[in-house]
Amino acid sequence: MRGLDEARDGHLLRPILGTGRGTVLAMSVLGAGVLFGALSYGKQLRDGLGVTGLNQPVSWGFYVTNFVFFIGISHAGTLISAILRLTKAEWRRPITRMAEVITVMVLFIGAGNILVDLGRPDRLLNVIRYGRYQSPLLWDATSISAYFTASTLYLYIPLIPDIAILRDTVSRRRWFYRLLALGWTGTPRQHKVLERSMGIMAILVIPIAISVHSVVSFVFSMTLQPMWHSTIFGPYFVVGAIFSGIAALIIAMAILRRAYRLEAYVKPIHFDYLSRLLLVMSLLWFYFTFAEYLTGFYGHEPEEMKVFWSKFTGSYAPFFWTMVVCNLAVPVGILSFRRLRTVAGCVVASCAVCAGMWLERFIIVAPTLANPRLGYAPQTYLPSWVEVGETVGCFSLFILLYLVFTKFFPIVSIWEIQEGRTQGVEETVERVRSYLPDTEPASVPIAAGMRALEPKEVPL
Amino acid sequence: MNREVRSEEDRRITSRLFILLPITFCAFVGGLIVWVAHLIRVSIRMRDVPNASIGISLVAIPVFLLMLGVFNYLYWGLLRNRR
Repeated sequence: MRGLDEARDGHLLRPILGTGRGTVLAMSVLGAGVLFGALSYGKQLRDGLGVTGLNQPVSWGFYVTNFVFFIGISHAGTLISAILRLTKAEWRRPITRMAEVITVMVLFIGAGNILVDLGRPDRLLNVIRYGRYQSPLLWDATSISAYFTASTLYLYIPLIPDIAILRDTVSRRRWFYRLLALGWTGTPRQHKVLERSMGIMAILVIPIAISVHSVVSFVFSMTLQPMWHSTIFGPYFVVGAIFSGIAALIIAMAILRRAYRLEAYVKPIHFDYLSRLLLVMSLLWFYFTFAEYLTGFYGHEPEEMKVFWSKFTGSYAPFFWTMVVCNLAVPVGILSFRRLRTVAGCVVASCAVCAGMWLERFIIVAPTLANPRLGYAPQTYLPSWVEVGETVGCFSLFILLYLVFTKFFPIVSIWEIQEGRTQGVEETVERVRSYLPDTEPASVPIAAGMRALEPKEVPL
Repeated sequence: MNREVRSEEDRRITSRLFILLPITFCAFVGGLIVWVAHLIRVSIRMRDVPNASIGISLVAIPVFLLMLGVFNYLYWGLLRNRR
């Protein structure tokens, strides 16, 4: 087995071997946030949903917004990681695990928000006993379970060689690492099994990820509510999910790079590549938003127009226009210019996108329910401190779980980095040579291969 | 000495827990399949459009079985090829 190269990669185990003052402080702050969320939920559990701003007709608010937002963020991970892995993008190596961990953690939080929204969580048993598959809510339950299982497996499989490194290096929790390492010794046959399993999961996880967010959109679009009943909601939600997922990944990369001194692994070029992707997704998101609103406006159906104007000029206008600024103006304004595409620039744009995408989910959920087809007087939804508290709790819990993960497992895949150093360069040269016409045979050494790729002087 | 005893204990715990991994995963996937089958049964009994349940189960069950297959392949593949 290729063990840990202490001199080069020993640095990656430092967060596992010790806990600094900064981590303790961060954990305390996040723990306080989780506690605030737990207290808020306790209040709601005791007194019922009446303590929230939810009522008739607005029966979905912050919780469902959080649910859609978190499930969206989950696309960061597995979808991006799987695509980069399948396309053999070499620059993926230091960032795939960061992305995969986001997926698993936020799925857990996102699904939890549905339980919180139930008000009476004990009634979940009725869904298990008498659930009806005609309801898109149950499609959600099934697809999220599949996605959670697939992304946990997809996170675990590439983690095994690194767990074996921990088993052989770290003295604490050795039984735990020995168990999870599944007897990994790094034999060629084990490598083959691992690569094959990763390949199958990378292919499987992409349709599952797309289906999850499509099904989340079906919860809205299968109803006849104004501005929800739309055929493009599936792809619109998927695009928004990938968009917010990339932004969340960039933020996580920047924080981990700074906190764990990973500058040698997560380099400005990683931010540059991901920010280009973010820019493309921003324009794609705008295209879908424009198509969605233009279609509604052109039809001019009276009930739809009530919702439309409540977003454009009514009580939800501040949220709507902030969303447009955050999701379009800020990322396009920053990321279109190479000079501004620095790490700091990417982080600013990503923070704006995360805020904008949360607002986008809120703008989809609340205004439609506040202006229903039925004869209710239009209302404006105002969340109570309980909902704000639970939202703070959810975000704190997500970051806390992420932090705890980094204290147990390396957040950069050590074996993939080593593999990249030893095989990646050679493989890439071979691959590039295979794309180009009239290159030398594959058997020439790597340096010669690289020279073969250099432009040659053509005699006149 | 103390370290050796600890290591021996660790090994014993690990060997017992090893077998729990595939059992837990099988139980999870099996539970989901039983649940989906139960919903089909309920919908048939209640004459409540079982097509939806059957349609979704035709997609969901193979996906879960595939994941179970991948996990078992990985589990046994890694354990068997340690040397």
